[in-house]
Amino acid sequence: MSRVLVAMSGGVDSSVAAALLVEQGYDVVGATMKLTCHGDELPDRPCCSLDSVNDARRVCDQLGIPHYVLNLEKAFGRDVVDDFVREYARGRTPIPCVRCNTFTKFRDLVTKADAIEARYVATGHYARVIDGRLHRGLDPAKDQSYFLWGLRREVLSRLHLPVGALNKPETRQRAAALGLELVANKPESQDICFVPDGDHVKVIARRLGPDDPALQPGPFVLAGGRVVGQHDGFARFTVGQRRGLPGGFGEAMFVVAIEPERRAVVIGPRQELLGRTLFAAELNWLDEEPRVGDTVLAQIRHRSPASVATVIDLSNGRLALAFQEPVSAISPGQSLVLYAGTRVIGGGIIDRSPRALPVAAA
Amino acid sequence: MPDPIYLDHSATTPVRPEVLEAMLPFFGPRFGNPSSTHRWGREARVALDEARERLARALGAHADEICFTSGGTEADNLAVIGAWRALRQSRPAIVSTPIEHKAVLAAVHEIESEGGVVRVVDVSADGIVDASSFAAAVGDDTALCSVMWVNNEIGTVQDIAALTGAARARGALFHTDGVQALGKVAIDLRSLPVDYLSISGHKVGAPKGIGALFVRRGAPITPMMYGGTQDRGRRPGTENVAMSIGFARAVELAVEEREAETARVRQLRDALEAALLAKIPDAVVHGRGAPRAAHILNISVPGTDSESMLMALDLQGVACSAGSACQSGSIDPSHVLTALRVPHEQAVASIRFSLGSLTTDAHVTRVAELFPALIARARKLSGLTTG
Repeated sequence: MSRVLVAMSGGVDSSVAAALLVEQGYDVVGATMKLTCHGDELPDRPCCSLDSVNDARRVCDQLGIPHYVLNLEKAFGRDVVDDFVREYARGRTPIPCVRCNTFTKFRDLVTKADAIEARYVATGHYARVIDGRLHRGLDPAKDQSYFLWGLRREVLSRLHLPVGALNKPETRQRAAALGLELVANKPESQDICFVPDGDHVKVIARRLGPDDPALQPGPFVLAGGRVVGQHDGFARFTVGQRRGLPGGFGEAMFVVAIEPERRAVVIGPRQELLGRTLFAAELNWLDEEPRVGDTVLAQIRHRSPASVATVIDLSNGRLALAFQEPVSAISPGQSLVLYAGTRVIGGGIIDRSPRALPVAAA
Repeated sequence: MPDPIYLDHSATTPVRPEVLEAMLPFFGPRFGNPSSTHRWGREARVALDEARERLARALGAHADEICFTSGGTEADNLAVIGAWRALRQSRPAIVSTPIEHKAVLAAVHEIESEGGVVRVVDVSADGIVDASSFAAAVGDDTALCSVMWVNNEIGTVQDIAALTGAARARGALFHTDGVQALGKVAIDLRSLPVDYLSISGHKVGAPKGIGALFVRRGAPITPMMYGGTQDRGRRPGTENVAMSIGFARAVELAVEEREAETARVRQLRDALEAALLAKIPDAVVHGRGAPRAAHILNISVPGTDSESMLMALDLQGVACSAGSACQSGSIDPSHVLTALRVPHEQAVASIRFSLGSLTTDAHVTRVAELFPALIARARKLSGLTTG
């Protein structure tokens, strides 16, 4: 019987993933990764809290499988939280879940799988592995393939994603049918697990100190350079953001760029958010690397559709894309994921363009 | 899978049948509250007093010197904080070691936050308290010294009589956490001059949730809880009659059987240790150069990690432990091994086998085969990952 090590957060998705693998006859071992320790600070958080570990353990007990807690606090702090803070300090908007999947979660899961002679690993992500290739989850509302582009191919070759072919209501139904009342109706985890109250500035201030330039006052400027106000730290802003900007322009204004060198937050009307070209680095290919001239589907944030684009450069570990139609709010630090149909080709981290040229000016 | 093997007796032990039998009537017909004046109350009170006497006798103490608690942690807290608070005006200092149980470490930390002076003494690489460092730390300002008798992680045994003598010479009181000593080393409180001794039930075949603090006649103690006058006011709250009775029975048995059982367990432990060292020549046994209790074998194999080894062992049916488990069940590097200045790669690789009543020759033979095989595989893997 093949052994599979399942990462279990104590939530409904990974619980059902484990249950389905048990049903399929695998020798299933559950593990909860302890990434951060909030102690009693956050009793109700759906992720990473002590309750979640306990819930995962109870689910495993119900399924009749062993459960372990893996302590990843140190690696998580180093590879994910430090990077998160560094990125904000550079005026970018990171996705810590991508870093975590790339550097922490799957790496350690595979190491532990080897240690217990488990041929496979599994998670509760909504994505599918078909013939060793990563595909979108069947439920477009839940698809999480966007967060998984950083996996190593070796991981993919032994990865099971049992709920990727379900939609969320089906997953909850399965949980209820399996008698997993404990998790069947648990709320979705929304926030970043180490930003308990959604206030990422607090985390940055704690790590960098309140005197860091990213948290110091700086100018709001228009694309032309005119200063139109003062903000209290560019780390509080992200490209596309509307909240907290000066008014009086007769139209809605958005953050269109962040320039940490002069602590400036560049704002402009909606059309200035549009861009046609995109640069990405830290690339990873889950499939054959595309070539210059290839047409791909490019997705630049979790909750937006992919857009048709052409690869215009791929050299020195950097990728340049030209979109067929302009896209809104290309945000440095977010992930670019390339698809062919539902298949994930690979991805990278969106870089600052030599200035993401507004379409109007181009 | 072959029968599971339990090698985690220092974590807890099963309730002994004799203990269960002694307790049962007190969950049923003899349910009275010892403070009540009626027949049910009297009956419970008599049984509780008897239990206190029997437990005291087994340790060479007077009945009034035994204060039942909810376990080892409460006993440690009551001794350390209770003694210090009673004496803090004239003697604000407390002396302890870096290899105490967290129940003492955290209590000492609390004292520090309440304005106490904390002095932590040195320990040798084998986990023995340095006598001169200890003597230097104890002064006329010292209320209490607290030193664990048998270390729960590595099994080293401190010279409690000598340390108590050094404390007494400066007028300081002495507490020892004897949770792992009970049933493992001879305890005679008539000749051992400690002022306080903590013990716990579930390490010796009584249930979880019962323990005791020995408080020598005349030693001050400020209660931690407020309520009725039970246990001479030291520990208010309706007494845990059934478990106190079970605990007394377990202690009697542990003391009676101690010599024969420790000889049996020592032989098994030494055999396991010898077999593992023969097959894994670079394995390190912590505390090996010091007097060590018979039941603990704490071993580190460089190039492996405790977390993976515990999983692999458990999946093969072998239960043991590592470091100190946190509330979530994850493993943090051991503060004891850190204090012993054990190199990092050993500290993250430590495995504690603790033998006891359930351990047989067959268990030792099987683990002596299995453990080296798992180690070999883990090392092969870590060789692969590190190139």
